[in-house]
Amino acid sequence: MISHLLGHPLRFTISTLKITCLAHLALSHALQVSPAQGPSMLPTFTVDGDWIAADMTYRLGRGVKVGDLVLYKIPIFATQNGVKRVIGMPGDYVSLGTPGEPGEEQMIQVPEGHCWIVGDNLPASRDSRQFGPLPLALIQGKIIGKILPWKDRQWAKDGLEKVDP
Amino acid sequence: MALSSLWARLRGSAAGGSTPSLTRATALHLIGFATWIPVIAWFNLHVAELTVVDGNSMYPFMNADRDSSLRRDVVLNYKWAPQEDLQRGMVVTLRSPFHPEVVAVKRVVALEGDVIKTKKPYPVSTVRIPQGHVWVEGDGPPGSSLDSNTYGPVSKRLLTGRVTHIVYPLSKLGPVKWWEHDRPLVE
Repeated sequence: MISHLLGHPLRFTISTLKITCLAHLALSHALQVSPAQGPSMLPTFTVDGDWIAADMTYRLGRGVKVGDLVLYKIPIFATQNGVKRVIGMPGDYVSLGTPGEPGEEQMIQVPEGHCWIVGDNLPASRDSRQFGPLPLALIQGKIIGKILPWKDRQWAKDGLEKVDP
Repeated sequence: MALSSLWARLRGSAAGGSTPSLTRATALHLIGFATWIPVIAWFNLHVAELTVVDGNSMYPFMNADRDSSLRRDVVLNYKWAPQEDLQRGMVVTLRSPFHPEVVAVKRVVALEGDVIKTKKPYPVSTVRIPQGHVWVEGDGPPGSSLDSNTYGPVSKRLLTGRVTHIVYPLSKLGPVKWWEHDRPLVE
């Protein structure tokens, strides 16, 4: 009886620990669903209230291509994460500025191991135009779609269109 | 429900059965061990991990016997809150900005806001470290390590841990005395 009373809370604690660790690993390495905030990705995501799903197997930029939406650690802030669109991968030439504004003709080549990310809402986005190329190692996952609100659910699109040569 | 009855049957036949099957008992132990794998993985990712140091970027502080032995140093990599309370001189591990899959060992030389005199091959002679970034260098002679003098200031978010103890070789066993390291920012 005593061993049962002593054993049970311990077993319960250990099981809780195991399940918590498993869930944490699943969230950081497999699939993460999180709310998105801010105006930088309008009109793809609204300012508040959208929940998005990220495939975390794309962490460290594995398999990320131009046009993908990525969840990344903002390099200049200690804890915040952001969502932006990949514009250039290593070796690509990208514009340092904003289309239609002075400085747009200034180009750089994205360095090895980095990518160039920009928000969909150009005037209200803090992205590579401010902090420069983003190390691929700061990419945590690729956004695969919007989940909430449920009526607006959809897969993420890369926005690229095929043109006939 | 189905799972718990299956579990009870497995347990019953392994522990209480008149002829305990060795295969069953082994399977049970293996499953019991497997449930610990997420805990171990999480601990190694977020708390601490023993790491073997490759390469000579921290020579002679680490891998001092590189010319006479293939044996490499083993260090304790403390991974809890690696971005907090950083000090100049600390030895840290970070994801290499040029190679996302590579984890590098370097020493923090300058913190955000510091002005540092760079070494070759950096194109500019002095740099002010931007917000959220640090300057990391290897201990070896210039040119022996791929560090901030090539890729510039690195984001603190790239840091994965802090080297707090040397575990092997046993002659160096003990805490890393990073505060004894001195590298003037501007000479």
